[in-house]
Amino acid sequence: MAKMKKKWVVLCSTAIAAVYTAGYWATESDKSNIPVNAVYSSPSATSSTSGSGTAQVLDSQSQVSSKYNDGTYVGMGSNRRGTIQVSVAIENDRITDVEISDFAMHYSIDDVVGMPDEVLQIQSANVENVSGATYSTRAFSDAVQDALDQALRA
Amino acid sequence: MKRAKLFMDTMVQIEARSGNEMSEDALDICIVKAFEAFRHVERACSRFSPESELMQACRKIGEATPISPYLFEPLRFALEMAEWTEGVFDPAIGRLLESKGFNRHYLTGERTNSNVDGSATYLDIELSEANRTLCLHKPLILDLGATAKGFAIDLAARELKCCAGFVVNAGGDLYAGGTNDQDDKWTIGIRNPAKVNGILQSLLITDAAVCTSGSYERRSEVVEGEHHIVRPDTGKSPNEWISCSVIAPYAMMADAFSTAAFAIGGEEGIALIEDAGLQGLILTADSRIKKIGGI
Repeated sequence: MAKMKKKWVVLCSTAIAAVYTAGYWATESDKSNIPVNAVYSSPSATSSTSGSGTAQVLDSQSQVSSKYNDGTYVGMGSNRRGTIQVSVAIENDRITDVEISDFAMHYSIDDVVGMPDEVLQIQSANVENVSGATYSTRAFSDAVQDALDQALRA
Repeated sequence: MKRAKLFMDTMVQIEARSGNEMSEDALDICIVKAFEAFRHVERACSRFSPESELMQACRKIGEATPISPYLFEPLRFALEMAEWTEGVFDPAIGRLLESKGFNRHYLTGERTNSNVDGSATYLDIELSEANRTLCLHKPLILDLGATAKGFAIDLAARELKCCAGFVVNAGGDLYAGGTNDQDDKWTIGIRNPAKVNGILQSLLITDAAVCTSGSYERRSEVVEGEHHIVRPDTGKSPNEWISCSVIAPYAMMADAFSTAAFAIGGEEGIALIEDAGLQGLILTADSRIKKIGGI
């Protein structure tokens, strides 16, 4: 058993080492503002034909150039617990960073993603973090869209 | 110091304390670098962005392509797990997930519908250790949903190693290093989605990862009763368990084992965790808790 476990541990430690020994970390980190994603369209304007299998993998050339001004824009959104504020950095029509900008001041981040109240009570008592099935970012989409709207070129 | 950003369709929260040895500025730099780890891995491994290294590689069939370690390593781990589980866990499952509605980019809203038939398996994926290349023998869409986030957490944890204590929490999958403000181990709860008291179990953790796979978040919008963990052999989501948490020395390991065990289910799923010498906690659909490895 112990031997079996070691195989997986070695895979994980060599994985981390591979990033560093290859020099990837240093060189890649020097490039500032590597885009997370291109802004192809607004989230509301989605097209979907799930399961049809006819649509092609999107071509990166399909992006509209100069749709947004570069910069960092603050967006607000709300859910049942209150407002959410995000700072969205945009460069060359790409979102390069989305930071939840003020959760520490007003509320726990877990409020935002809709954790049950009971969890919050227990958390405030003594549990510092909760492991659970990965929640999505839907709670933030209005705030991100609000920031993008402000970044739109007139 | 506590900051949160969005990556990989989840919120990544990093909390770290400097202790006596480190300046606040140095701590800030560590946290920035830790977030960079998520940016690098997302750029390499995203299935939702056509320009990611993964999606570019998926457009090259029958040709060995050099890939970065940000893609190579989580793919290698996923392939090892696929072999180990004889394909119940399979990184070639991307097209099947797309067809169940797991194809929406969280920032752009754009949906990806790839024109592949979905018949390929992990056996059609070839990695060359020596050349650091990937060769796909059939058209397929890779999915690293069960290893890439774990790998990013591990890389982030490495950047934070010099802190007195830190937690990297990526939407419920986390690594806790060092100690908390009181110089105790971190208290980590395992969420109970079904009960009013919220937490199934609380754990004292230091220098270890806790990852949970569950059916209660990320439900399919296309197929009722399905969620983001799908078995390639049946094409369906297993619903025998509600949640499966694994504690491991690395997040990539905890992430892959919790997902693979969830996909397998039953005694065999439990044995997968046990045989690797790991600890785990499972909540079954009939509300029973199974503990593995002396939690």
